[in-house]
Amino acid sequence: MRISSFLSVILAIMLVGPTFAADEVSFARDIRPLLSDRCFKCHGFDEETKEADLGLHNFDEATRDLGGYHAILPGNPDASEVIARLIAEDPDDVMPPPAANKPRFSDEEVELMRRWIDQGAKYETHWAFEKPKMPEVPPGDAEHPIDRFLDARLEASDLEVNERADPYTLIRRLSIDLRGYPPSAEETVDFVASFEKNASETWTGWVERFLASPAYGERWARDWLDLARYADTNGYEKDRPRSIWPYRDWVINALNEDMPYDQFTIEQLAGDMLPDPTTSQLVATGFHRNTMLNEEGGIDPLEFRYHAMVDRVATTGTVWMGLTTGCAQCHTHKFDPITHTDYFAMMALLNNADELEIPVPTEELTRRRSDLQSRIDQLEKEALAKIDEGAYAKWKKLQEREIANWIPLEPTSMKSNLPLLQKQDDLSIYASGDFTKRDVYDIVFDASVVPEGESVTAIRIEALPDERLPAGGPGAAYYEGRKGDFFLSEVQVKADGKPVRFGNASVSFGKISVGSGKAVGMNIYDGNGSTGWSTSTQEGKRNELVLNLEQPIQLGKQIDMRLLFERHFVAALGRFRISVTTDRGSVVADNSEIPNPRVASDEEMKLAYIRNASEFESTQKAVAELEKQMPAYPTTLVFQERPPENPRPTHRHHRGEYLSTRERVEPAVPLVFDPIPDEESHDRLGFAKWLVSERNPLAARVAVNRAWRAFFGTGILKTSGDFGYQSELPSHPELLDWLAVTFVENGWSMKELHRLIVTSEAYRRDSRISSLQREEDPDNRLLARGPRFRMTGEMLRDSALQAAGLLSPKMGGPGVYPPQPESVAAMAYGRNTWPTSKGEDRYRRSLYTFTKRTAPFAAYLTFDGPTGESCLPRRDRSNTPLQALTLMNDPMFSEAAESLARSIGEPGESSPEAIVSDLFLRILTRQPTEQEKADFLSYFEAQKNRIEAGDLSAAEIVSADGEPISPATAAWKMVARVLMNLNETVTKG
Amino acid sequence: MNQQHFLQAQTRRHFFERCGVGLGKIGLASAIAGGLPNLARGVVNNPLAPRDTHFAPKAKRVIFLFMAGGPSQLELFDNKPKLRELDGKPIPPSVIAGQRYAFIQPDAAVMAPRFGFSRHGQSGAELSDRLPHLGSIADEISIVKSMTTDFFNHAPAQIFQNCGYPLPGRPAMGSWTSYGIGSEADDLPSFVVLKSGGNLSGGAAMWSSGFLPGSHAGVPFRESGDPILHVSNPSGYDDKAQRDSLDLMRKMNERELGVMGDPEIQTRIDAYEMAWRMQGAAPELMDFASESPATLEMYGAKPGDGKASFANNCLLARRLVERGSRFVQLYHSGWDHHSQVEKGVTAQARAVDQPAAALVKDLKARGLLEDTLVIWGGEFGRTPMVEASAALGRSMGRDHHPQAFTMWMAGGGIKPGVTIGATDELGFNVVEDPVHVHDLHATILHLLGLDHERLTFRYQGRDFRLTDVHGHIVKKLLA
Repeated sequence: MRISSFLSVILAIMLVGPTFAADEVSFARDIRPLLSDRCFKCHGFDEETKEADLGLHNFDEATRDLGGYHAILPGNPDASEVIARLIAEDPDDVMPPPAANKPRFSDEEVELMRRWIDQGAKYETHWAFEKPKMPEVPPGDAEHPIDRFLDARLEASDLEVNERADPYTLIRRLSIDLRGYPPSAEETVDFVASFEKNASETWTGWVERFLASPAYGERWARDWLDLARYADTNGYEKDRPRSIWPYRDWVINALNEDMPYDQFTIEQLAGDMLPDPTTSQLVATGFHRNTMLNEEGGIDPLEFRYHAMVDRVATTGTVWMGLTTGCAQCHTHKFDPITHTDYFAMMALLNNADELEIPVPTEELTRRRSDLQSRIDQLEKEALAKIDEGAYAKWKKLQEREIANWIPLEPTSMKSNLPLLQKQDDLSIYASGDFTKRDVYDIVFDASVVPEGESVTAIRIEALPDERLPAGGPGAAYYEGRKGDFFLSEVQVKADGKPVRFGNASVSFGKISVGSGKAVGMNIYDGNGSTGWSTSTQEGKRNELVLNLEQPIQLGKQIDMRLLFERHFVAALGRFRISVTTDRGSVVADNSEIPNPRVASDEEMKLAYIRNASEFESTQKAVAELEKQMPAYPTTLVFQERPPENPRPTHRHHRGEYLSTRERVEPAVPLVFDPIPDEESHDRLGFAKWLVSERNPLAARVAVNRAWRAFFGTGILKTSGDFGYQSELPSHPELLDWLAVTFVENGWSMKELHRLIVTSEAYRRDSRISSLQREEDPDNRLLARGPRFRMTGEMLRDSALQAAGLLSPKMGGPGVYPPQPESVAAMAYGRNTWPTSKGEDRYRRSLYTFTKRTAPFAAYLTFDGPTGESCLPRRDRSNTPLQALTLMNDPMFSEAAESLARSIGEPGESSPEAIVSDLFLRILTRQPTEQEKADFLSYFEAQKNRIEAGDLSAAEIVSADGEPISPATAAWKMVARVLMNLNETVTKG
Repeated sequence: MNQQHFLQAQTRRHFFERCGVGLGKIGLASAIAGGLPNLARGVVNNPLAPRDTHFAPKAKRVIFLFMAGGPSQLELFDNKPKLRELDGKPIPPSVIAGQRYAFIQPDAAVMAPRFGFSRHGQSGAELSDRLPHLGSIADEISIVKSMTTDFFNHAPAQIFQNCGYPLPGRPAMGSWTSYGIGSEADDLPSFVVLKSGGNLSGGAAMWSSGFLPGSHAGVPFRESGDPILHVSNPSGYDDKAQRDSLDLMRKMNERELGVMGDPEIQTRIDAYEMAWRMQGAAPELMDFASESPATLEMYGAKPGDGKASFANNCLLARRLVERGSRFVQLYHSGWDHHSQVEKGVTAQARAVDQPAAALVKDLKARGLLEDTLVIWGGEFGRTPMVEASAALGRSMGRDHHPQAFTMWMAGGGIKPGVTIGATDELGFNVVEDPVHVHDLHATILHLLGLDHERLTFRYQGRDFRLTDVHGHIVKKLLA
């Protein structure tokens, strides 16, 4: 333990390099890591767990007079109690105490502490919490500033620096990094020829070419979608599909347009709060709608909304602050200066949005819709012109007799357990905000609209559609059942305080989903909450329930009405209207669209006439036919900030538990940072702007570090998602800051950042590893050699399709289903099938593959692809037998090998040597050596001979489908498959 | 030689052939690697290599029979005569106040247990008449009647029972085990997931490696096609064609290794060789031809019969641990009896009781029980109150009940023949020796020789544990 701790100190010194004088102890480099790891848990930020009322995390606390002695007395280590405790032998005195399960301070570490105290015990702000300043570029021979920073460290090491890689390697590396797959054979040949003439111009030319390629946005979107935890399903048990692919396409477009990262941030976090937001800006807020939705029956929906909020705070912290805020959910962070209250203050910034699903109009669909609508309008106009006034008058009279004279009641007071109830212009009531499994509405109506002295015979409850509601309403159900569903369990009515009794009830439509019960009207006054009225399957449509009173009564001044909605999921009505009638006799529910003829305008009635009267049946049929053709817009999930009259309060949750709410917390960024300025709003938009302002020292650093990792394999700071006290020190702190400041100065341009990196010499080095490099810098932090690591599963599939000439260039749209075994989808909940795509969609880029959280596409998952369940700042790069099985035996890869073999042409057209060279060029982006050629030809001959001898069947190796397959074609497929399985093929080297 | 023996011999020869090739090649790899300093690291770095435990383990492997849905402890293990007395009466508000339920309302009535109970073995363990086979091994098992959990919905509770956290994203217990002690198998996965019955709420999160390296993820055996994805050769390839191809891949990879000096290449060569060995081992594993009729009968296993899939999986689990797998997780769904609990428990007990007891007996007979931990239980229990709903068409059921439920364990350092813990007279709350899910995890890791407070992994700036900041070893369960 002692030795390894000592080594880590030496290593830390080594890594930080020659810029620090070795004899001056640095708090940030030498001391804080020790204190943070071994002391802060009991003597740190968390007041609740602080022992002996002593904190060692800041100068004032650590050095204050403890009653005649000091934990730390600057300049005097011998009088500092800390030192005495570190070296104490008595287990009761020694620090850290044995029970803490922490290593003791080694002699070297104690010595460091002594020297630090001796030198004044200076505390410094953690480097990552100080704003990055533009460092001076070190002197040196290299042209590129990145190389100057790297060379400064390399020169101090004894590592030999690799030469520039050969042009084949270079174009392959560049293509993989900027487009996500290797170059085509033609591109490679072009590049190499041009590179040999003019290396520098050729390189910059191809960099620009790839940066401008639409494939660039697709390649980099995948990395961002890992952070955004994007998926096409809701997650948890049922994991049903959702439509949020317009958000995925937004990311691709934003990257291709090189949207500045600050704008990219603001639109995703708070696009809805920008002035007059465009649809695109609304779509962007899908970033935080990528949280999971638990649709399991019987859950507490607000508990899982809370979990989604926890995820949003954690993801925001990781992506823009490089901070692991997660710890502070349960208690004040032990290691980082984020208090429990800070955490919930950040949550409060994000916690005031409603979650909507909106249509995303496209030009094409809008055109088709308006075409159809004008044809409908024309048909109806023609019909209106043909009205026979006599027949119309007769029809209207009939309606006056048949349609009850309903008098809408005006609500004067609306209360509920939680949802906000608001009166609408048509006297209906609209419910919004948060809903529960048991919602109760208490509404008071003014009864004075009923003509004096008349008795009311019936009450009507209309369930009304509203485009703000899920699936257009009328209900607020958004999970488990059908969207827009409701379930009215019980209704109680009092007239001037006296209970009103019902005689019978009827409904215009009644159906219950999730369950087999009957949705008859009398369910709502049978005293049983598990029976009720629902109009499931009629989402987006109006229906009504009519309650005939046991006896006609005079209502008096006011009516009190209580509506109870009680199911194992949210099932409140989202929009409804209450009316009464004084018509004699029993009134029956009716779902015709004919308005009340006593009050409707002539225009309204005539329209109702042509839409309902049998004389116009042919028009009605024609209109219905056109309406059927009306294409729906795709939808996507967005945020919408709540209206000022219904803010959602945020509370601190004790131990982070959903049920343990404590005091209310006001929105703010953590106190350790500069606050959101007064002139900005303290809300989601203010937070988004703050994140990409100079007040946040981390956004640019985290972003450039992420990019660095994507190109070089490891970030300048290794722990990509964690810039906190516990993080390792950056390998090149000044380079990190130089990149961060340059990034901002360049207008937050991501393409410019990528351009900067790929034009460095370090990026272009050969990646072969010498023994010394392997021993001294196994992780290639100093970059004496070029980057070298396995591609992602998505890249591997795209590369195979690209080499085979199968990759489709089609961009955007709903997720697609490349082939995979049925048994993968079958593992998930429900009767899942995988509707394997046909035609072009089978060969789309991998980021368009439908992403099911509980059963991700097997090949990607096997190569450490994400599940979309939480923000993933860095993927693992494992190397496993299951990956070997996938590459060798998955029919999806086999199909690519086969396509390659078939594209070679008929035997005899090219020589086998030329075919081997061609396959090498397409798959490995290089020419084979003579030895390799010989090896592959001998393998080819051996397999062809076995096929010809009947040991193997060409028709089985190649999916023949009846056509004759030559032994050579089958053997070439086998050759292509071997090539596609090589380490070199799966590696960006 | 009869047909079965012939097949067996064939399989075995095929199996050793593959091993032979594999091993020979490994020798070659080492020889080549010898020329390159430090390259053996590729082999040493095998993330699944066996690792030293914190202290001497009692159990070397685990078979977890996960009863998904929440079996009714009141119909199986926890006999509550008081419920008969109160049948049909509302549960006292003092008991239910403040509790959240998935489906029922607080005014739900008490429902009497549906079955009779009797005592078994020398230990006198009390079991319902639905578990006759378990009764026959009552003295081998330890029953915990005082399990509690924090979650009342399936997916969160199942994920919690497997990962110590209710949301997806943390490593499964099997992944922690693989990370902590490595694998004994070099031709099969270390952490295997088998599934029978209906839908599984917790899903793939329950065998995810979370933030641990991907090599520790559970490998779900598939119900159709290849049991391990892509373990069969591609169409048209015989073993020779596959091996010829592998040999060429290997030659190329070794050549690249020589030029590039990247240890990752050696790891990939090893991974391909293990893939080859898995291709050989999987058919042998899945083939029950070598099992005696008596064994098949004891489990009630019928190869190829979907109805017997839990029984088949129990037998397969034994075969897996015999071959070196560390953690076999059997999920059997179908215990979620919101309606007609009597009928439901009868049917599931019939499917599960015999194979589970057979597994314990079989492991014992083969000398494997002493270092194989067998665990039986679900994500939560069921309410003493009845569930009925007109909308859902439910009656005579029980809702989810996280406050108290029952599990049993056997082998692997568990004290046999004891029953620990007790619930109140309504079976509502635990009143004696509560065992929280975190405590169960701490105990399982302890039996595997791992200190649950020291088995940590640093991720996002924090040292994570299976037991978070909780967990106490249940000493009363230890032999």
